[in-house]
Amino acid sequence: MPVEPTLHKSERAPLDAELHRRLVYGDESALAEAYTAYAGLVRRVAVRVTRSPAAAEDVAQEVFAQLWSRPYAFDASRGSLRTWLSMLAHRRAVDWVRSEARHRKDAAADDSALHAIPDTGPGPDEAVVDRERSLLLHSALAELPQPQREVVHLAYFAGRTYRQAAVELGIPEGTAKTRLRSALRKLAQALSDTADPPDPLWERGA
Amino acid sequence: MTDDHDGVPELLAAWALGALPPGGGRAVPTHLAGCETCSAEAVRLRETVRLLDGGDPASAPSGNGATGIDGVLGPALRARPALPRVADHAVPYAAAVAGLGALLRELGGRRSWSTPVVHDWDVRDTVGHLIAADQELARHLGLEVRVPPPRGREATPWEADWETRTADVIAYERTREPSETVAEWAAQSSALLATAEARDPELASRAATLMGTRLPVADHFLTRAFEAWIHADDIGRALGLAVPPPPDGHLRRLVRLAVRVLGAALGPSAPPVLFAVTVGGEDARWVLGSEDDPVRGELAVDAVDFCRLVGGRRAPDEVPRRSTGDEAAVRAVLERAASLAWL
Repeated sequence: MPVEPTLHKSERAPLDAELHRRLVYGDESALAEAYTAYAGLVRRVAVRVTRSPAAAEDVAQEVFAQLWSRPYAFDASRGSLRTWLSMLAHRRAVDWVRSEARHRKDAAADDSALHAIPDTGPGPDEAVVDRERSLLLHSALAELPQPQREVVHLAYFAGRTYRQAAVELGIPEGTAKTRLRSALRKLAQALSDTADPPDPLWERGA
Repeated sequence: MTDDHDGVPELLAAWALGALPPGGGRAVPTHLAGCETCSAEAVRLRETVRLLDGGDPASAPSGNGATGIDGVLGPALRARPALPRVADHAVPYAAAVAGLGALLRELGGRRSWSTPVVHDWDVRDTVGHLIAADQELARHLGLEVRVPPPRGREATPWEADWETRTADVIAYERTREPSETVAEWAAQSSALLATAEARDPELASRAATLMGTRLPVADHFLTRAFEAWIHADDIGRALGLAVPPPPDGHLRRLVRLAVRVLGAALGPSAPPVLFAVTVGGEDARWVLGSEDDPVRGELAVDAVDFCRLVGGRRAPDEVPRRSTGDEAAVRAVLERAASLAWL
């Protein structure tokens, strides 16, 4: 896992702002720099959610096309480029899985073969249920308030310790721990709220 | 709770995510072995992380289907083209056009075209104004421009003529969809950047009098860049989006041109002032006014503030400055810069 240096928010923010300035004014080399720094993270996030390298590639394309074509969608005063790209990749990946699920359901309904869910995995029911729960969790993660989502993204996808995440976000360590805890508890709660849900789950995600 | 549980509950989420610093979780296993509450919580959080991972770790695909940078840059550049290839003197304008274009993509939905910007213009009017302003150079370079029918007499002073024309263009654009106005502005900008004068420094060195100012065509391109940026900044303020200043290299050129125009406006007999403008942490310096007399005062301002002053977006007494010496001489420079009301 390529690990970029952990910079304090006060060091990171001006670098992000300068990169943003170059993106706004159409400097392609800024896009290449953003790609070099963050493509690994973006793909990692997308593949974890979609389980498909091809889908992750599509997500990465979308994410960097968005960064380039809509530079004003990123606001360097509101968060780091790293977390912004990570969260954007995550949302797009969740959207991809939801639309896959819808297609699959439609196809299954057409065949009236409700249990013939094609999957690349070994395919016992348990694995299918796990996949559904995973989507539920990632949907819930995408809905978390941004301050909690940022810490989860840094700790979970970007491989940061809670201390490093605190440094990057410019928040106290205790706050980083508390946010991680609140976030993960909410996700665990989302899971137990829908204990046995395979079907309504897809509707919810749609 | 911390007292009873060695601080473990606060660590469990980080622990479940593998986000503890090295050696930071020593207390966890021992505590979990003896505490049912924390142990149940730990199991629950670990299971949550396992499912976030997608369940069975063995079925996780590796992330290496990457097509590399070209696979990503291609689609990006189709969504927003790269800057057109132009000579050095036209690059700031190409960049400013790209910057305003990017900003205008944010319009629509809750960011309305009818948001008031400056004067009595909304966003669409401001773009309409730029169409009129760019037309001067476009016409000079032989491009076909749609000029509204003249309303005034012949031989009106250029200011009156200009006021009439910008009002006509804005009135016309108000009859159309904002997207048509933007498309027209973008098409005219692209046409300007596709002229031989945008690509050939030799051709661009010829002087032309536009809007009452005689400058080489290369400098008129810079003026277009200046205006596009200042109006983008106006629009950004109105929408609550921070518009970054042009890249330092471009900003330096805008400042040099503005200082030249300012120096000419002050004339050769004004009390001399040492004038410094800061771009990217570095000062560029000039002596304005008389070359024969000793310097009477010193004035230093930031490049963006100076551009806003010259662009009529800041009053002389609003500009943050460092100055020493003859206050009247320094004031005279600031007042003159503001009076250029370049836009």
